[in-house]
Amino acid sequence: MKGTDLPSEPDGDSAPLFGSWTKAYCVALGIFGFEIVLFYAFTVIFS
Amino acid sequence: MNRLDYVVLIATILAIPLYGLWRTRGRETLGHYIKGDESIRWATIGLSVLATQAGPITFLSMPGQAYESGIGFVQNYFGQPFALITVCAVFVPIFQRLKIYTAYEYLGQRFDQKTRLLGAFLFLIQRGLAAGITIYAPAIILSALLGWRLNLTIWLAGGLVVAYTAFGGTKIVSITQRYQILIIFVGMALAFIIAVHRLPAGLSFGRALTVAGGMGKLQAVDFSLDPDRRYTFWSGIFGGFFLALSYFGADQSQVQRYLAGGSLTASRFGLLFNAVVKVPMQFLILLLGAMVFLFYQFEEPPIYFNRPAYDRAIALGHGAELNELQAEFDDVFARKRDLLNSSGVNSASRQEILQLDAKARELRDRAKGVLERAGASPKSKDSDYVFITFVLQHLPHGVVGLLIAVILCATMSATAATLNALGSTSAVDFYRPLIRPNAPDHHYVVATELLTIAWGLVAIGVASYASLVENLIETGNILGSIFYGSILGLFLVAFFLRSVRGSAVFFAALLAQCLVLILFWTLSISYLWYNLIGCAAVLVFSLALQRSIFAKSSPA
Repeated sequence: MKGTDLPSEPDGDSAPLFGSWTKAYCVALGIFGFEIVLFYAFTVIFS
Repeated sequence: MNRLDYVVLIATILAIPLYGLWRTRGRETLGHYIKGDESIRWATIGLSVLATQAGPITFLSMPGQAYESGIGFVQNYFGQPFALITVCAVFVPIFQRLKIYTAYEYLGQRFDQKTRLLGAFLFLIQRGLAAGITIYAPAIILSALLGWRLNLTIWLAGGLVVAYTAFGGTKIVSITQRYQILIIFVGMALAFIIAVHRLPAGLSFGRALTVAGGMGKLQAVDFSLDPDRRYTFWSGIFGGFFLALSYFGADQSQVQRYLAGGSLTASRFGLLFNAVVKVPMQFLILLLGAMVFLFYQFEEPPIYFNRPAYDRAIALGHGAELNELQAEFDDVFARKRDLLNSSGVNSASRQEILQLDAKARELRDRAKGVLERAGASPKSKDSDYVFITFVLQHLPHGVVGLLIAVILCATMSATAATLNALGSTSAVDFYRPLIRPNAPDHHYVVATELLTIAWGLVAIGVASYASLVENLIETGNILGSIFYGSILGLFLVAFFLRSVRGSAVFFAALLAQCLVLILFWTLSISYLWYNLIGCAAVLVFSLALQRSIFAKSSPA
């Protein structure tokens, strides 16, 4: 693999606290999903 | 503003750069100057990325946007977390592995020198002009409302940023941004608390939200598929993803922020921090705008917030027309306030309140029409003056100074990141390979400092002549959309179309940029589409050129 190539795996190192970067991305997306649910609830309650 | 406000303002905007200068004293290598050192942790990177994106427009215009149209604008940011995760997974590992200083160096390694220079050149044009707008936009509003001289405001804000950015490089930009964004958080939180506190005594926060919602200001999420709706969940997810991917993946002013420190883990955590924090931050800023809207349902707002422009129209002989509109506006406001005080927004009163609100908006539009006829039309939207008018007229002294400092901190943090990136790109992508290769490291540090100063002077020059631009706030977004698509296209071809070589992608990007410029001058579609068109054109043209004209240069 050349330096300019995409990594064959999403990452070569592990993510502190999460174990793997894939898990870290899923946690971030989960938090974002929760934020969307809160915004939607806010819309339904107050609009 | 009184003396206390000026003390708070001056102390805030000077203390942060002075602390930054103290922290970054001493000579350094080119690597330290452009990428900082290992002391830059993920939290600093995260705040720095946040501060770079949150320019003065965010804090001046967003509350006014919510005042006019509600908080639905937050949906424009819904694609950003997906884009940030894409950048974490695809862009950052390659940039960190190659230990590059600028994103365009990667294009040089993947394709060839001319493609690298093209990417860097497109970035320099777009960001050089946009930096001027970033300085000009708050300066025109603050100088109009506070009576400051416009050119002096531009030179003081711009000069201070140029001085500390050129001296301290990436490390000082990251350090100062960390404290500037904290000041911004404190200032905006205080404004929010005071706005809620200044609502009528009997109106609880929960009931205030019900009233604002009843008047159509709190629809944060809209799943409608109607293409005529301006802000929806779907346009935010797809359009926002594309714009954010261009911005975070291919704009050196952001790339340099998350490559600071040189650790893959710190870069990724800094970006993931933004993926979870950015959308709630925008939501709260818009909610502040909705609270300001509610405040002005009980305290009469001006018919036109840009008072100096309004006064100019009166001086030009349009006083009678404006007085007539003002009298009608007073009457509509009083009837609406009485209804809200007596019954709130319920099923019986809602329709009448909404009709009165629409009437008030119509009267404001007619006042704007009078200003245009009088030749007193300003260069920015009246909604940009809503929040700053509220701050100046209704917040206590001391907090006013802090909020003006918030606007200037946002200007300085966004401009510093841009100048830092412009100086670094000019030095690393143009000066070092083309003009003076193989010079000692210190020579390049001095060259980068001088180029940063030169770009600062260009930005101040653009800001000094920005009054020639019709709608200055839109101009920044339009500039980005015209150039970002082609730049992102170069990177996506580099990552995902392995068969395409340098010459094919170079000419494809040139053709795509020409196509975008022609469409921009001939069509009247929303400028956000140019991001998609430019990027898609680079992908399609590069494949077509590689398989036809440049087929012989394809790898075996």
